[in-house]
Formats: sequence, C-alpha cells, structure tokens
Amino acid sequence: MTMTVEKRGVTGKAAPAGRPRRRDSYALFLLPGVLAFLAVIIVPFLMNTYVGFTDWQGVGSPSWTGLANYRELMDDSDFWASFRHSLFMVVAMAAVPTAVGLVLAAALFDYIGKHFGSKVVAVLRACFYLPQVLPIAVAGIVWSWILAPDNGSLNALLKAVGLGSWQQDWLGDPDLALYSVMGVMVWVQIGFPLVVFMAGLQRVDPQLHEAAELDGAGWWRRFWHVTLPQIRPEIYVVLTWCTVAALKVFGAVYVLTKGGPGGATNVPSYFSFTTFFEKTQVGYGAAISTVLTVIILALSLIGLKLQTRAEERA
Amino acid sequence: MLTTRRRVVATAVLTAGALLLTSCGDSDSGSSGDGKTLKLWHYEGPNSAMGQAWNEAIKEFKATHPGVKVEFEEKGFEQIQKTAPMVLNSSDAPDVMEYLKGNASAGLLSKQGLLTDLTQEAKARGWDKKLSASVRTTSVYDTNGVMGSGKWYGVPNYAEYTMVYYNKDLFKKYGIAEPKTFDELTAAMDKFVQNKITPLANAGAEYPAQQYLYQLALSKADRAWVDSYQLYKGKTDFHDPAWTYAAETFADWVKKGYIAKTSSSTKAEDAGVSFIQGKSPIFFSGSWWYGRFIDEVKFDWGTFLWPDTQLSPGSGGNIWVVPKGAKNKELAYDFIDITMSKKIQNLLGNKGGVPVAADASAITDPKSKTLIDNFNALSQRDGLAFYPDWPVPGYYDVLVSQTQKLITDSEKPDGYLDALQDAYDKGAPKQ
Repeated sequence: MTMTVEKRGVTGKAAPAGRPRRRDSYALFLLPGVLAFLAVIIVPFLMNTYVGFTDWQGVGSPSWTGLANYRELMDDSDFWASFRHSLFMVVAMAAVPTAVGLVLAAALFDYIGKHFGSKVVAVLRACFYLPQVLPIAVAGIVWSWILAPDNGSLNALLKAVGLGSWQQDWLGDPDLALYSVMGVMVWVQIGFPLVVFMAGLQRVDPQLHEAAELDGAGWWRRFWHVTLPQIRPEIYVVLTWCTVAALKVFGAVYVLTKGGPGGATNVPSYFSFTTFFEKTQVGYGAAISTVLTVIILALSLIGLKLQTRAEERA
Repeated sequence: MLTTRRRVVATAVLTAGALLLTSCGDSDSGSSGDGKTLKLWHYEGPNSAMGQAWNEAIKEFKATHPGVKVEFEEKGFEQIQKTAPMVLNSSDAPDVMEYLKGNASAGLLSKQGLLTDLTQEAKARGWDKKLSASVRTTSVYDTNGVMGSGKWYGVPNYAEYTMVYYNKDLFKKYGIAEPKTFDELTAAMDKFVQNKITPLANAGAEYPAQQYLYQLALSKADRAWVDSYQLYKGKTDFHDPAWTYAAETFADWVKKGYIAKTSSSTKAEDAGVSFIQGKSPIFFSGSWWYGRFIDEVKFDWGTFLWPDTQLSPGSGGNIWVVPKGAKNKELAYDFIDITMSKKIQNLLGNKGGVPVAADASAITDPKSKTLIDNFNALSQRDGLAFYPDWPVPGYYDVLVSQTQKLITDSEKPDGYLDALQDAYDKGAPKQ
C-alpha cells in the first residue's frame, strides 16, 4: 500500500517509470508557512538576539555593547530569583497537574464512567476543562477577589466555618504569595492533562485491563503497570507542553500580583516585560528574552527526544 | 525562462523583501499634510473632566475650522505609554496626542528627537504666560531629556495634586475635628485605631503607598531637596533626615495600625473603593479621584492639604505633544490653543478638573471651587513636588516592590532606603 502511494503524483496517476519524483511541486505548498515562520518567528528572534547585544532605550540608535548585558544578567539577583520562581511554576503548572490529571482521568474513565455513565464523565471533564477556556485575565481578576485579604471569599469562608485563625493575606504575604499563585495555576492547568489523558485512555486495549484483573491486580496496580506505560507518549507531550507554558507564564502573574509583594512572585517573562517597557532598558530586556528562549528551546528538544525514545521503545 | 524552483526562490525573496520593507515603515513620515485633517489621540475617559473638556474643544475646533476633519482616536493609557516611541517613529503618528510628562516619558522622546519643538508657538500664542512656573516645569526639557529647562515639548492644560480626603461623618461619629496640624492628624488616626478602624486607605501594589511615603519625606524637605531628587541638581542621599524619617514613620504607621498590614497586595482602586464605601475614613491621593467621589460618595466628605508642610506630590497634568512626523502641525497648534482658551478651561474646572488658565469667577460648583482653591494655595507657595517615581525609568516598580516589603516587614527602613538608593543611582543620569 505504501509503495503504491509513493509512486503516485498529486493527481493520483502513477509517475512515469525512470523519471525522478517532482518534490519541487510540493515545495510551493510549504512556501506560505515558511515565509510566515521567517517573518513571525525567525526574523524577530534574530532582531531580539541582536538587540540583546546593545544598549538601547527603544528609540534612537542602539549602541553595541557586546556581552555586557549577559554579564550583568549573571550578577542580577532579581533575574535569578525570577528563575527560581519559574521552577516553582513548573511544579504548579506541569508536575502537579500531570500527576493529578492522571489520577483524575483514570478515576473518571475506570470508575465514574462505569458506574455513572459517559454523560456524567463528559460533564465532569468539561468542568475540569473550564479554567482552560477562561481568559487568564478574567480568571486572575476573579481569583484576586477570592484571595483578597479583607473581603475575599476564601477568608470569609474560613471565618464562616470557624477557621478564622487560618485567614491569610494570600497574595500580599511574601511567604505565601508564590504558593497562592501556584494554587491558582494548578486550577487553571488541570483540565489540559485530564483531557489529553482521557483521550489516551480511549486507545488502551481493554483486554489488557481485563487480563490484569483476572490475574488479581487491583485498581492501583492496573493503573501503575498497565495504564501508565500505555499512555506514556501523552504524558511526555503534556509534561513538555506544560513545562514550556510554566517557563513563559506571564498573564497570571501580571493580573494577580505584578511580581509582588516585593518581587516574591516575579518570573522571567514579567521581569523581561518590566525591563523592556517600564525601565525602557530594551537591550537588557532582549537579553533576558533570549536566555529564556534558549532555555525553553533546550527543554522542548529534550522533551521531544525523550518522547521519541519512549515511542521507539514502545 | 525561469524554472519552477527559480520561480519559487524568486517569489520567496520578493515576498521576504516586501515584508521587511513593510516592517521598516515609511521613511517619508515627516511629509506635510493637506491641512484638511487633524489626527488626534488622547486617553481620557469620556465622563472625566478632561474627557468632557477635550470633546468640547474638538467641537470648537470644528466650528472654527470649517472643512477640516478631526480624526479622533481614543487610546488606552497603557497603549500610549507602551507603544508611543514605536508609533512616533512611524508614518502613523498623529498630529497631536496626549502623552505622559516627566523625564522617563516626554523627556526621553524629546531627547530622541521624536517631538516637535514648541518654543516659538508657546511664545507666539501666549501659553508661556498662562502656565505658572511649577506647572510649566513638565513642558520644557533640556538636551538630555531632563525637565525644568530647555525647549518646550509639551503643553499641560490641567494640573493635579494630592490631598487628604476625609469622611466627615465618621470623624463626627467619633468626635474628631478636622485635623489642622500633623499632630492632630496622628491623634485622629489613634482615635480610629482605638475604635478598631484602620484610618488610612492604602494600596501597596500601586501608587498610593509610595505617595504616603513621599509625602512624609516632603514634610521634612524643601525645594532644593526636590530639585536634587527630581532634577538632579545635587546628590540625593536616601539616608538623609527626610527619607529616613519617611521610611521609619511609614513602618511605624504599619505597626501602629494606621496602615493595614494586609494592604501590600491591594490596588489603588481597592483603596478608593474602601474610602467610597466608608470603610477607611482617610485617603491621601490625587485630584483625579475628585470627580468620582463627587458622583459616588454617599456621606459628607471634605479635603485638606497635608498639614504642616509646604510641599505635596503634584504637577501639571499630562501634556499635549506634537510628534516630529506630524503632517498638520499648524492644525495641532490651533487645537492646543483652543484647549487653553477660557471657555474650555472653565468647563474643565466646573467638571471637577484642575484648570491651569481658568477664570476664577467662572467656577461655580462649590466642590470644584474648593479643589481649585487648594491647588492655587499649593501652587502659589511653589508646593508642587512632582511624583516619587519620576526621576528614573522603571522607578515606579522599584518603589512598589520595596514599599511592599516595608508593609510586610520583610525589609527594615535602612535596607529599604539602600534599595531605593541603588536603583536611583543606576538609573539617574550620571553627573
């Protein structure tokens, strides 16, 4: 079958024997995409990289300073603090949602689906996915109301159930703010892995579960030894995607805390934004963006490599 | 004849070239216009005093310039703040636009040659006579983009200043008279704390917190201190008596409960609403709240200038600038002239704004009269001290971030002042 397809041209007619295949004709279809990629990704990236080697306020002519911005970056404690916060965001946006999403997906698929039917599963799945549909600005404003110190609904709820001593300044306490933002991001993210894993579970051969069940494996052992290995490609995709999202998170920090209090929730993308637009240190901001892009690119490639290796093993 | 491959390559090169040319913009941005269209941008809300005044000015302009079309675009504050340098560098620049005053904004653009020198127009049309010295400070910029001297690059039509808003009903309820001295103000705050009321509305995530702090510093400062800090006419030492007093007093006020420990993450809107809802009896903030309080506050309220001090945060308002690449500059000058006319200035004053060239007898609304009288008192004693975030680009974020630390007690006053000094020294022009 494959051979037949390869010998046919775009019209479906068999290519004449002895003539090379006309790959050039396919190149035309790639052209718009390549041009758009050049104009939207490559050219701005190269320009950003160039600007990162200059001292520039965004207007006038940039002056070439070589590696000065990168040297300054190495000694900038705010920059490194923002990267440490990024690692916390990776936990909140990739690790926790992936783990919780897996358990929830398996529970919905194996338990809720069997006992309450597919409609209940569909409704619950939609509910978990809802935060992904909401614009982050809307979600952020709503959560800032919920977490407000004086009249926020979380503190009001704690007081109402007799846990008044647990009330906190969730976004204003530097020891708590990062964890509060992380909590919001877990809520935002959880729907994405859940939906991907549920789609993955659809393609797992039920006979594998039945065989394991006959062998006396309980739910947890079936989940660990059958479900997990079967949906490993989905896990890699989700982890890579969510890690990248966590490293470039911006909207939630901007709406919820603006990097505060006292820089406690600052992340590289927000740090870059303020350096660009508030401090008008465009060269330095570009250097931060370049470092961030390189890190994201490296992590994405590692993720893709791991995924490919896992698929080959499977 | 081109082969398919060559044709593909040629198309790609041409398209990429066209894209690059498009992104570079039109180099002929300074070409003259037809004199038939005025392209105008501002970001005042239609219900604000300024928005209403500018809309009236547009009507007046149309009446006095028959056949000229006004292309007005209402922009967002952030939109203009973040993109102005790029827009002014392109052929899309308007003929006249509202822009932010200060070294880091209008000063930066003037230094880069993106704004038109208005010096001749200011003299010819008498704008220089209409503006008081302290209001005029933000109109002129030197070759380094530092305000206070040099050429005219902008014209403010209104002013703004900070004052103490207070809830007369709550003061009456707890038997507190309007404070006339600083000691009476602190005594009033003590009384509210005793009654389990946090007296000051505050917002640590935005400007109100830093304005409390700056006002405290100003109460121990003089004009030379302001000039040193804002205009770099001398060395600014953040461990001097004024800044030290401000940081220590602010931290003390948090400890005493005058300022809520939980206000580190709240925004200016939260602080304003807290005053409007009668939860906080005192709010120290700008005249930009005045019109809204007139509309929304249900209790009896009043204002007074910060007691026992000559200086307060305040300045000329945002300014009209004419981009270097504007196509119809004469029309732009005419429009600015109309906004400076008595008719528009009086309207601005009666709608809750602070006009800079109004006819005092034409302001009939009593609340507006108080607002303008207080401004005149401040202006006459040369008391406008600008805003704490002006001297250094990005200093607003530094002040927010560091003052949050003072509120949450994660930094002591000494460390706080060190951080301010460090950021100031990095950003201020080298002397």
